[in-house]
Amino acid sequence: MMYATIERIGETSIRTARSFYETLAFSSLVFFKMFDRTSYNSAMRMVLVNQIYFTSVQVLPLFIAVSILFGSPMVGITLQVLKHFGLADRMGSVLMGFIVTELSPFMTVLLIALRSSSAINAEIAVMKVNRELKTLDVFGIDVLDYLFLPRIINGILSIVCLSSLFSILALASGALFSRFLFDLGINEYTNLLFLSADFSDLFILLVKCILLGFFITLIPIRFGLRATDELTSIPVSVLNGMVKVFIAIVIIEVLSLLLRFL
Amino acid sequence: MKISRSISTNFKVGLFLSITALMMILFLSHMAYKKGLFEAEHTFTLSSKTGEDLAEGMPIHFAGFRIGRVDQMELNDQGVVIIQIKVPRRHVKWIRTNSVFSLYKPLIGSPRLIVSTENLASPILPEDKVLELVVVNDINEAIKQLTPIIEKVGQIVSHIETITGNLANPKGSVNMILRNAEQVTANFTDKKSIAEMALGDPETVKSLHESVKKIRDILVKLDDMAGKTDVELYGKDGVLPLVRSILSDVLAKLIKLNTALDNVTKVTSDAAASTKDLHLLRKDIDATIQSIGRTVEDLDRIVPLKKEREIKLP
Repeated sequence: MMYATIERIGETSIRTARSFYETLAFSSLVFFKMFDRTSYNSAMRMVLVNQIYFTSVQVLPLFIAVSILFGSPMVGITLQVLKHFGLADRMGSVLMGFIVTELSPFMTVLLIALRSSSAINAEIAVMKVNRELKTLDVFGIDVLDYLFLPRIINGILSIVCLSSLFSILALASGALFSRFLFDLGINEYTNLLFLSADFSDLFILLVKCILLGFFITLIPIRFGLRATDELTSIPVSVLNGMVKVFIAIVIIEVLSLLLRFL
Repeated sequence: MKISRSISTNFKVGLFLSITALMMILFLSHMAYKKGLFEAEHTFTLSSKTGEDLAEGMPIHFAGFRIGRVDQMELNDQGVVIIQIKVPRRHVKWIRTNSVFSLYKPLIGSPRLIVSTENLASPILPEDKVLELVVVNDINEAIKQLTPIIEKVGQIVSHIETITGNLANPKGSVNMILRNAEQVTANFTDKKSIAEMALGDPETVKSLHESVKKIRDILVKLDDMAGKTDVELYGKDGVLPLVRSILSDVLAKLIKLNTALDNVTKVTSDAAASTKDLHLLRKDIDATIQSIGRTVEDLDRIVPLKKEREIKLP
């Protein structure tokens, strides 16, 4: 009994370590491919454009509505609390730190992970089961260039663009919200916001968005490739992939918080 | 059809990326402009004995407006902290030779540097001149103002202790007052009037009332009988013997009353002493209450923690 338990712990640890190593190895391979000019052929660009369209453009009306509906009350409430405690001069740093650095990438990554990461995972798993990946390989098409790289670059671009859009829309709608509800002038609002804001916050936001975009598309691809020849392996691969995506989001959030406050 | 759809997709994606990039650039540029990154800056130097609560990037305020920031800080060979501040060109006019730089540490919120200039007609501060930083500490000021109040509070507490000690002591003046008061009130509740309380007998009081009434009647009769005969006056059943008898009765009763009144006087003098004590005690309590009231007002003035009143609309 004891022996079996220890054996199971050892097996799980080795499997986790191997999975982590394989993900890192795959990440480094994709990372170097991203800086290879030959990767960017016309077929890859076409897939990239389509991926951006499906991930970002199609979701735009919903995303704009969510940004305004969620962002403006959040900005208003934050302002009210800060004014109540006499910390209005810290408004810029709090809004930039909370809305821009934390809330906007989190909301964006949540939407993209739920909508696109799961789709990418299922798509790659289906292609694996249907042996489409093997077929592409037989025809001499590099699946890394044609399938994986556009999706990962799309993930990075979409998260960066949509996070920025969320921040700008939330702050802009928050300005209007504050103007009508708290009688805070637009000029006063922008002065408070920009004067106490820090460029380092925006740099952290950029790095965080790149990492989130990279991993929430790379992990589903990795787990899609793990599917076997059986159709029943598709939901299992999606399930495992999405759990790992969630873990990756948490790790990146924690690391960014540590980077900001340490 | 396929080509037009492809163009449409490309256009939409291109438009999305372009607009987002443009918004990001505008946002960053506006932020850089507001932070004065595109503006020429003047550097002024301040000195301070300590770098505590000072930080690079700390804002500098003039009349409530941010006019600059702390750029660099370093400790020189003499152990003095040298602070370099950057002020955009358009705000240099607020910094004159008679300007005072103070580090303001509020009770709540982060510390900030405040510039105050008495005479704006003075020459502009040269960049090579080093001004000393003055520290304004809200917490220390508050403690300084609170110290006498805390002493007062101590005195009040000792007074209250004396009063409560007196109350607790069975032989103390307060308990004596209470005993006397109890006695007096018991007398008041048992008897119907002061006379009854003094004489101690309701029947005697009744007869005293009757005698007084009789005297009043006799006086009326005396008026009426002026000029009547000696017999009527001095006879066995005459007025004078009757008057004498009544007056003797009244005298006896008055002597009894006098003794009783002596007792009343004694009791009332005890009561008076007691009320004197009570008065002093009352004065002590009043003074204590007033002192506490003043202390609370002082505390409210120094530590304005009271929430602003809200006007509730129906």
